[in-house]
Amino acid sequence: MTVKFNNRDPVYVQVIRHFKEQIAKGYFEPGQETPSRRELANQLKINPNTAQRAYKEMEEQGLIFTEGNMPSCITKDEAVLKSVREELIMEAVDLFLGSIQSINVPLEEVLELVKKKHEVKSGEAEDSK
Amino acid sequence: MIEVKNVKKNYGRKQVLKGLSFTAEKGEITCLIGVNGVGKTTIMKAIMALTPINSGEILIDGEKIRKESFEKITFIPDTITMLPQMKICEAFAFMADFYKNWNFQRAEELLQFFKLDPTERIANLSKGNTAKVNMLLGLALDADYLLMDEPFSGIDIFSREQITEVFTSHLIEERGVIITTHEISDIEHLIDKAVLIDNGEVIKEFSVEEMRENEGKSVVDIMWEVYQR
Repeated sequence: MTVKFNNRDPVYVQVIRHFKEQIAKGYFEPGQETPSRRELANQLKINPNTAQRAYKEMEEQGLIFTEGNMPSCITKDEAVLKSVREELIMEAVDLFLGSIQSINVPLEEVLELVKKKHEVKSGEAEDSK
Repeated sequence: MIEVKNVKKNYGRKQVLKGLSFTAEKGEITCLIGVNGVGKTTIMKAIMALTPINSGEILIDGEKIRKESFEKITFIPDTITMLPQMKICEAFAFMADFYKNWNFQRAEELLQFFKLDPTERIANLSKGNTAKVNMLLGLALDADYLLMDEPFSGIDIFSREQITEVFTSHLIEERGVIITTHEISDIEHLIDKAVLIDNGEVIKEFSVEEMRENEGKSVVDIMWEVYQR
């Protein structure tokens, strides 16, 4: 697990985003144990205090939960899991719309292009398997 | 906590530290940043009482440095201080003789981590491996505070990766670390606090994560702002 961090956004925010992506992709399953704070710091090459901060925030957002002295786990709350996926999709769509609007392309043309490109890309992904 | 309060230091008529103050917390990595010759190494030597200061005060957990403090704080200089004809294992024995808090088990662990051969003579080691042994000798002490002077200078990217790995592991955790560097970009997301120094003074002291959160700026951004004035 390696993540490329940028130096301008808070690292803990980038860590949370990474977790959300993994959850949306299904790489982290509901109820799955998360690495300990120290393991995470070591895997992502970040400061242990930052890993701690990320876990604290995710706990508050309900992305992970901890019972007693057990290791933290990914939430099993369907509503939260669904909202994570939606949030990521909406973010990507907004970003896309932002860049499309600035060059004034009609929606139909864009949608057609997106469809074509997507087919090519998923085709490539199939071939490489 | 290490507190450096209004420290002034002259070398002859030249004033190198002009009333410099900052603090470094335990459990955090504090990075002293500045171009060559601004007094970074002098600060570390002053904290270790290796060089006298002209005025000001330096406190370690609220106390002035004394003989017992050297079991609590350790300095890793930018060059190795062991005799070159010593083998690594002999250097270990030397450290064990001098320090009560020498942790032999941790030293062994670090040897494996850095993939070093204990029977090798220090004089025969490559530059990168010498730097690793130097760092190992400091890290294997059960000290609360570690001062590292330019741990990354003259080291290739693979060794650098290994050393950064040390920073995210239990070898550093819970300890207070002060490091100096002029190559910050590689380790930006590893440090807790940055202290920018110029001309013997602290020009900015900030938490890097707070800076990213509140102003969306990286340490390098701040350096541009501050040093270009």
